[in-house]
Amino acid sequence: MSASCALVRDRFADYAKERLRASERGELREHLASCRACASLAAAFDPTLLFAVARPEEVSAEEIAGILSAVRTGIALENAERRLERAPRTRRVGAAAAAAAAAAFTLLLPGASRRVEPPAEVSASKKPQAAGPQDSLPVALPSESGTFPAKATIYDWSPGAGQDGPRVVWIVDRSLDI
Amino acid sequence: MELAYSEERRRAEAVSEDDRTLALAARDGDMVAFETLVVRKTPAVVSVARRIVGDTEDARDVAQMVFLRVYKELRRYDERYSLNTWLYRIATNLAIDFLRSARSRAKAHGATLHLVLQRQEGTSAQTTRAAEEEELLRLLRKASEAMTGKQKAAFVLREMEDRDTKEIAEILGCGESTVRNHLFNARRVLRRELERSHPGLVRRGEKA
Repeated sequence: MSASCALVRDRFADYAKERLRASERGELREHLASCRACASLAAAFDPTLLFAVARPEEVSAEEIAGILSAVRTGIALENAERRLERAPRTRRVGAAAAAAAAAAFTLLLPGASRRVEPPAEVSASKKPQAAGPQDSLPVALPSESGTFPAKATIYDWSPGAGQDGPRVVWIVDRSLDI
Repeated sequence: MELAYSEERRRAEAVSEDDRTLALAARDGDMVAFETLVVRKTPAVVSVARRIVGDTEDARDVAQMVFLRVYKELRRYDERYSLNTWLYRIATNLAIDFLRSARSRAKAHGATLHLVLQRQEGTSAQTTRAAEEEELLRLLRKASEAMTGKQKAAFVLREMEDRDTKEIAEILGCGESTVRNHLFNARRVLRRELERSHPGLVRRGEKA
């Protein structure tokens, strides 16, 4: 048992009662992280001292990229909703139905970004504000069946080239009015 | 092409800017600054959320909510205060809310002290640390069921995040004496639960 072990063991009670100075507290935590005998004695003295050695967690780059991607998508949706809220009341009522329709049309597609020209009957509006640096312009998908509503806006968000993450397409039907 | 170049250059600049500069730029609509903050602060936010809610997947959900809330409330950010404290405050509040709703669909979790008490013995330090952290979380999750959200948050911020009581008071929006009360009560509950669920702990300690 080293001198520092003896010193640390005398401080368990003061640590648990928040009576140590910041420097003493830091020394004790550092010591417990590196001395198994003292850590075991600390846990025996007061089991809450098991947590006195917790270190900062490591978060992988993949996890960070996933969260960033989800945040970008959330912001794009927020901005789309905000624009709908600014519309006149009759259109806001329709927007509720449109939001439901948008949810129903929302597609999660893996893969890279794809951009297509809007067909004549579908209007493409401005880029959602602050939707991220990647391809996030509202674009229209080709209407193979010809059933797209006349006043639809189609938002197409994709992660940038070389980045993982789902592609999200959502369609807001502005012609609905219930 | 010019736009792409500018954004790339802005991203490179933003990485070296401090938190306050990024927060102010983000407040003025600079999305590159905002995203740089998200990347920089995600580890801290995920860490505190995971330790309060006790689950990695749930912590990721909380982290997403935290950054969306930050984006929406950036206009209210007061530059006189530390960005970290503000972020911790949002993260802690959302994690406590999440915990409250999660408790209604509580799950049963077992916990052992095996790995925690075998620290330093493993050859792969990183793997052992991750396993120990997981073990501590399981212990805390089980033993803290009788704590209030604020007691648990105070304990996590103090013991696991190593924050001082003044900062915890700012994060939780209360006085330092209230933080000390939360810590006292959290320790009391945790001690009782751990002694009940792991009676061998004292004996093991005496042998060391």
